[in-house]
This record gives sequence, structure tokens and C-alpha cells, in this order.
Amino acid sequence: MTSAESLIGAALPRPDALAKVTGAARYPADLVRPDMLRLRIVFAGRPHARIRRLDTAAALAHPGVLAVLTAADVPYNAYGLIDADQPALCQDVVRFEGDRVALVVAESNEAAEAGAKLVAVDYENLPAVTDPRAALAPDAPLVHERLGTNLLLHVPIRKGDVARGFAAAAVVLDGEFSTSWQEHAYLQPEAGVAYMDDAGRVVIETAGQWLHEDRRQIAEMLRLPEDQVVVRYAAIGGAFGGREDLSVQHLLALAAWKLRRPVAIVWSREESMIAHHKRHPITIRCRWGAGSDGKITAVEAEVIADGGAYASTSAEVTKVATLFATGCYEVANVAVDGRAVYTNNIPCGAFRGFGAPQAQFASEVMVTRLAHALGLDPAELRRRNIYREGSVEPTGQPVPEGVSAAAVLDRCIAEARARLGYGEPRAQPADPRIRRGVGIACGIKNVGYSFGYPEQATATVELFGVAELERAQVRIGAADVGQGAHLALRQIAAATLGIPPERITMITDDSSEAPNAGSASASRMTLVGGRAVRDACLAAREQWSATEEYHGMATVQFRPSATTPLDPVTGAGRPNYSYGYAAQAVEVEVNLLTGQVRVPRIISVHDVGRAINRQQVEGQIEGCLAQALGYALLEHFQVRDGRILTPYFSTYLLPTAPDMPDEIVPIILETADPEGPFGARGVAEMALVPLTPAIASAIHDATGVWLTQQPMTPERVLAALDAVTKRQ
Amino acid sequence: MQPFDHVSATSAAAAVELLQQGGPSGARVIAGGTDLISLMRDRIQSPRLLVNILPAAAALRYLRFEADGALRVGALATLADIERDPHIAARLPILTQAVRDAATPQLRAMATAAGNLMQRPRCWYYRGEFPCWLKGGDECFARDGENKYHAIFGASPCVAVHPSDLAPVLVALDAELTIAGPGGSARTLPVERFFAPPTDDERIEYRLQPGEVVSEIRVPAQPAGARGAYVKVMDRQAWAFALVSVAAQLSERDGVVERARLALGGVANVPWRVAAVEDLLTGQRLTPALAAQAAERALENAHPLTHNGYKVPMARAAIRRALLAAAGQEE
Repeated sequence: MTSAESLIGAALPRPDALAKVTGAARYPADLVRPDMLRLRIVFAGRPHARIRRLDTAAALAHPGVLAVLTAADVPYNAYGLIDADQPALCQDVVRFEGDRVALVVAESNEAAEAGAKLVAVDYENLPAVTDPRAALAPDAPLVHERLGTNLLLHVPIRKGDVARGFAAAAVVLDGEFSTSWQEHAYLQPEAGVAYMDDAGRVVIETAGQWLHEDRRQIAEMLRLPEDQVVVRYAAIGGAFGGREDLSVQHLLALAAWKLRRPVAIVWSREESMIAHHKRHPITIRCRWGAGSDGKITAVEAEVIADGGAYASTSAEVTKVATLFATGCYEVANVAVDGRAVYTNNIPCGAFRGFGAPQAQFASEVMVTRLAHALGLDPAELRRRNIYREGSVEPTGQPVPEGVSAAAVLDRCIAEARARLGYGEPRAQPADPRIRRGVGIACGIKNVGYSFGYPEQATATVELFGVAELERAQVRIGAADVGQGAHLALRQIAAATLGIPPERITMITDDSSEAPNAGSASASRMTLVGGRAVRDACLAAREQWSATEEYHGMATVQFRPSATTPLDPVTGAGRPNYSYGYAAQAVEVEVNLLTGQVRVPRIISVHDVGRAINRQQVEGQIEGCLAQALGYALLEHFQVRDGRILTPYFSTYLLPTAPDMPDEIVPIILETADPEGPFGARGVAEMALVPLTPAIASAIHDATGVWLTQQPMTPERVLAALDAVTKRQ
Repeated sequence: MQPFDHVSATSAAAAVELLQQGGPSGARVIAGGTDLISLMRDRIQSPRLLVNILPAAAALRYLRFEADGALRVGALATLADIERDPHIAARLPILTQAVRDAATPQLRAMATAAGNLMQRPRCWYYRGEFPCWLKGGDECFARDGENKYHAIFGASPCVAVHPSDLAPVLVALDAELTIAGPGGSARTLPVERFFAPPTDDERIEYRLQPGEVVSEIRVPAQPAGARGAYVKVMDRQAWAFALVSVAAQLSERDGVVERARLALGGVANVPWRVAAVEDLLTGQRLTPALAAQAAERALENAHPLTHNGYKVPMARAAIRRALLAAAGQEE
């Protein structure tokens, strides 16, 4: 027997690691065979235009081009995760640069590329709206004419009476913050193959985050029953939310289904950059008030998110950003208005943090500013307001049980005192041009789906062995995007069944072979998928013990406690069933002459409920910090009039190894989630939430200036320093 | 990428001949291809004939110090060759430093010295699908657009900056190019004059006559005791184009600057030599105060665009650091 104690938390080696580091692992582009037809997408290349005429004759005449598919070839020409508002191939209007207009199918990549250049599209350019505030003006050009407005969603949250709250405040501060797009920059650009199998089903082999949702959207587009579409995942080279929306999967399916031949596509990095969704640019204007006792009395905020040309998950992201406008603090009086806006920019959707990093850049900086204004330690002001068991969210319901925000903060401050000298006079480098500072910030992010979106994971477990349990087969359609979900689920199964992990077969990557586990997103797979696996293991085991044939097989759907939609007027409701809490302390060094910011040390404290595999949790934290550091300081996605200027990694800069801190201290706390398997909640997104405000606070500590635009580039640091010098 | 013909040349002279066959604009020499291939892939350049000069490596890939101390760099010497050469590291460490900062190891292994000087700007309007002036259009989109990486000096209609790390260093070292031309001709040209801001007639940052091929870079012997420093400021710690870079080369006698060279990268269409500062430094003792004065003087005529004003203080800081480092002083 293998005890749960020895398996849960154990740093078991990743079964996929060797193949990945030796290059043996097969990613989607590795599935392409020479005999497959190759696809090339004709992109719009302009932000907004009417298609007057589309002529495929020249392309079809090119040697090797077999077909040019257009809107007329798509049975149901609309898809999307929430609203099906995005055409697979545009018929009359293109709404952003990366809109797909036609699909060239050819015998070779070269022929497909040449054919794509020969597709003649006669466009009538339309006025483009690329600023979300301008898009809300009554006379703004409409992105979707049929809607009559560019407002995709307005979500109000009202709690208490903000006027009274501000009247009671000793300090009232205003702030305005803006963030830009962020590119997921996964190692593996979009790719895949598709073919018709012997049973006449359309099979798509690719990468994604949710087999069954990909299948649903593809089946809907082709007007096929879902069982006639099979989605399989190869090894997935990162996702971070960027593979939630369909990119190439549905077009692969369309071509294979139309031509009845195997087809393949591999996007270049530039195609990936201009065509898949991004993190939302969000601007936040806010007002915060606090009493002389350090209690926050009121928060008012306006949150505007640039959703780009199609809905994607903008509504959900904007609700999350609106909910977290007050961070992880209990505030009696709240009035927040969130708006998601259609523009002719690239669509925005899911990206690690899902609205929380943008919102808490603002809220965490405001909390620190309030503390300064009141002469309080920013940690102390946080303590006086932070969520505790029984605290009420701005939506009027108590925070879900298992609230550990205060414990996480306290541990972070203790570590920051010991390691970074937090709270003591700062020792400055001998070089007067370099100023050192320390900053702290907290973070909160929901685990799992929010606002009443159906939440479930299903697993099937079959047990083998007579008298003694020998082995098990676990079926769960859970995407391992690189985070290690498959090993975590295996460890949960092994610990539950009491057998060694290597005696468990995992069937996870085929929509026809494994049940729906929901997406690998929202930090949810360990909690929801893990719980489904655990419950199915328990049920199968009970059955196996109870029968003389020793047959045990169970399918269990786990549904966590319900969430609700927000009231359209007050925002009241139960937004989430579980939260992950984080707190970070960072040390920065600001070069006053060049504006460059270095981050030598980061302490990142997380309550993960229970670490299923401690090494993987630390890996998630460290990897996430690289992405967070890039977001805070470096990654500057530049767009002009809807055209992306930075589709290359030579101008969209990611952090390199020397840019990473000299020291990262990941600290894992374990306050059990009441619903998670062995108490586990999630960790994937949490480290991204506090880092930008923590660095902003540290820059302020070092220099006395506040940065309010992400990313905090040398240009912006010097401008802020300059503005202060000029004022003096 | 447009289809093209591909021929090999085993010498500079053969390349010259093949280029002439390809016609005035339809043929290009390709060496490491680290820039040309991406320009072709993005259809910014679509030569009909590529003359692959790598087979001429036996003749053109070398690094040699002459008896008089001059360094001869074959056009096909790679950045990695230069970086790994122990004699260069000992005698011209400024050159080692410039190539080390230039790119990733993979790129350094492919990119050649001459090719590095002929790389085209990284301006996103030039590289993107904008009909920009440099590509023959009417408008420089960067001038009033997104221009945080762009020029703070110069009067060209184009405000892109030269991306090379090698170029400002070669200017500071008074290096010369040997250029092979039609009929076995050859000419030499100071690197500084090889570069010229793009004009309406010639929308390119360097000047080669049709059919010409760079065959060698010659770095003359530096005065005894001359020292140099290359300071590159980037958005991140490695593998990025310079926001600002500074090549400073000083020779001193009895603590007094006898000869100074200062060239900036990342601030203009071409490596930006600052003669006024060289004059200011000559005959003086290099102190932190003088370095600061030099930095002020160097940026006097800067005219930043909307988003690149930060380059002015950044360049001042880099100049101070480079000058003091070249003089063997800590800032």
C-alpha cells in the first residue's frame, strides 16, 4: 500500500519531462506528414473594412492550390467561447487586422503561401475605432453594426453608500491606471492536423485547453453531431489562456471535412501574434477613502476594458476586473462600474490572471498610497482591511470559506523583514545613481469558473485486480498545457486508491475517450479535475470492494458549490466558490540615470490549500513570476490604428534568464479548501496578480515617484522622475 | 517569400561578376542571412537572384593582426569568430564587447562582420506592412507615431535608428572597408563614410555602387596606450537592440587626452560620431566633470520625438560611463 501522506506533496518526477527535454515529445507541428495538404490563412491586414468582392480565380489557377475556402463554405459561420460572434471566415466585414478572410488549401506550403497572395480581395476601408473610450461615444463607428453599440457589457457593483463612506474618510485619494496588451508568447505557436477517420468522423489533433469545448464549437460550425468530431491534444507547449479561443482548430476541421483529405497548418510566430487574442488593456479611474483608523471607508472605480473586435471572454474578464477593483479588502461602501468595449483592435480574452492583475495593479497601489497618507505601515493598513473568514465581498455575500489572506500577508511581511529588511531604513548602494527600494502587494484570484457559469469535471475510473487492487485506469479530458496537471491527477488517484502512481493509466487527450473535465484554466484543474478523480476513485473502490467479481468502475461528475450571476443593477450575488491568496515582497534597484529597473529579489507567498506536488507548485510560481516580471517591466505590445507593430520577439521583448531575480523565495502555505481534493485549491495564476503593484511600490520606495502605466519601461520611469524634478 | 535563383560565389570577384548578371536591383549578396532572410520572408526585399558568398569563406573569413598592429577582418568573419579571438580580446577588447552584446549565440555564429554593417533598421513601420518612406512610400509613420526606439539625431526623412553594435565601434576605431568592384577594381572607404542617412534618391543607410562587395574591414593600429569602451543600454539584460549605445576610444599621454573618438548607436540612421565632443576632450585631463560636460555637449543638438525623450538622459549617462571606462576610471 502507498500512503496518501507519502504521495500528496511528493515531488514525483514528471513522466513527460524526459521526452520534452530530449526533443522526443510530439507537439502539434510534429504531427505534420509530407503527404498532408497544407493550409494558409488569408488575413484581413486592416482594422475595419467591407469586403466588396473576393476573387479566388487566380489563387485556384496557381499550381498546387486545390481549394480556396471562404465564408460560403462554412455551414454555420460563427463561433466563440461565450457569444458565437466571430466568423470562421469573414463574409462581408473584417473587424481587425487578424480576421480570417479565406483559407487556401494546397499540396505544399509554398503553393499555399503563393495561393494566399493571389486571393484578390476588394476592400472598402471603414473608419476604425481603436480607443475604447472613443468607441463609447454616441457617434463612434460600430464594430458590430447589428448591435447598435460598441458596449459589450456594463457590470455595476454597488454596496453600501459611497457618498457616506467618503464623508467619513480622513483621506480620499484619486488614481488613474492603465495597462496594455500582453502576448501569451507560448513556446509553441498554433499548429495541428486534421483528417477524416475510418468511421467518418472529423479528427483534429492539435493543442488547446479544453477538448470538449473545442469539439462543441467545431461541431456547431460544421453542423455535425458532437460525436462526429474528435479533438485530440498532442503535447501542448504552453497555453496561459491563449489557447482557450479557437485559433486553427476549426479551420483545420473545415478543410479536412470539405476536402476529405488530411490537412495541416503551422503558424509562424508573426501569425500567432497578430491572430490570437491577448490580455485586455484596461484603464481604471478610482477614488479610495480611509478613516484615520486605517479602515477603508469607500471605493469608487470605473473599469474600461478594450475587448477588441470579438466577444471572446471579455465579459467574464471584465466582471473579474470589476469584482477585484477593491482587491482582497473588505470595504463597506463600493461603487464600481466595469465596461467591456468592442474596438477594431485585436480581440482580448483569457490570459493568466483573467482581469485580476489589471484591477489589482490599481487597488494595491491605492492601498499603499492610503497608508502613506495616513502615516501607517502599508502592511498594517492591509491587515486592518484584508478579507478574513466571514468578510463580505462587494457583491454582498461572504467570501467562500477557507480565507487565508491575512495569514499569507503576515507570512510575507515576516519574510520581508527577515530577508529584505522591510520596515527598516533602507541601506542604499554606494553608487548614488542606483536607488534601492522594497515594496509589498497582496493578490486574490478566483479558482474555477465564476458568476454562475456551469462548473463541473467528470472522471471515469476503472479498477483491475482480484483480491488485491493491482492497477487503475483514469479517464479525464484534462489538458496538460505544461503545468503538470496529468501528474497531479495521477498523484491524487494513487493517493486515493493506495497504489503506486506508475500502476495508473491516464487517458486524458481524446474527446471521444475521456469525459469532459472543463478547461485547464482559472487555476481550476487541480481542484475540480482533481476532485472528480478522487471521487471517482472512491466510488470505484467501494464498488470493487463490494462485489465478488472485483469489478470497479465509476464515472463521477464533481460540481463545486454553486456561484450565481451578478444582479444587473447592484452586482449582488455569489461570484466565486474558491479563492487563491498571494502576497509578495520585492526588492528593486532603479537606475536614476537610465530609468532601468532591476528586481534582485522576490518573495512570493501562496496559499495553495494543499500542494499535490510541491516541486510543480514551486515551478508554477517561478514560471509565473517570469511572465509577471515581463508584464510589469518589459513587455510592451505596441499598436497603431489597429495594426500590431510588435509581431516579433525582437521588438516585443520577453525577459531572459539574466533579467530574472537573483533570488526567488516561493513560500507555500496550506489552508485547506473545503471542496478541493486533500484540500488543494489552485496556484497557476496567483503570482501574476501582485507583482506589478509590488514593483510599483518598490520603485516608489526607491525614488518617491509612482508609476501608473504598465509596463514600467525606462521611458516611463524617467518621465515620472522628470515630472517630479520639474515640479520641484 | 518570392521565389529566387541562388548561385554560389567562391570569391569576392566572382560575387561581383554574378551580381552584375543579376541586374542592378534584382541581385543581392547573401552571407549569414540573419537579416536578409527575414526581410525577404516579410517581402520587404525580394531579390530575384541571391549570390551566396559563404563558399568564399576560405578567402574571406579571417582575422589577422598585421606587423604594424592593424587588424584585418575578412568580410565573412562571423561575430562569433571575433568574440572568440584571444588577440582581439587582448588588443581591442572594445570589439569583443560589441559583438558579445550583439545577439544570441546562434545569431553570432551565423552573422558576418560585413553583413552586420548592412543590416536594415528594426523600425516597426519599416518591418511591418506600412508603405513607409524608407520602402519608397511618402510618409514616415514613426515620426508622429510609436517611436520610443527611434532617432534623436539626424535630418533624414526617416527616423529609424541603425541597429548595429559593431558599426559605432568601427567608427570609433577609424576602421576602413575594402570594397571589391567590377573589373577587379577595389577601393577603400572609412566605415564612417560608408554610412549615410537615407535620402530621397537613396533610401538606404549605406552606400555601395551596383555590383560592389565588401571584402574586408581594416582597423588601423591604435596609438600606444589607446583604450576603448562600448556601453550598450537595453530594455533587458541580453539580446536586445540598443536603446542607446556608446563607443568611446581614447588615447592619453601623461594623463592628457591626445585623441578621442566618440560614436553613438541607436540614436540616428547611422552611427553618430560626435566630433564636437572629441574636440572638447582633446588636450584635457579626463575627469568625471569633463565626462559630464562631454555628455552634455554630445546631446546639445538632440531633438527627440514624442516617445523617445528618455534617450537623451540615457545617452548622457552612457557617454559618461563609456568615457570614464575608456580612461580606466570608475564612474
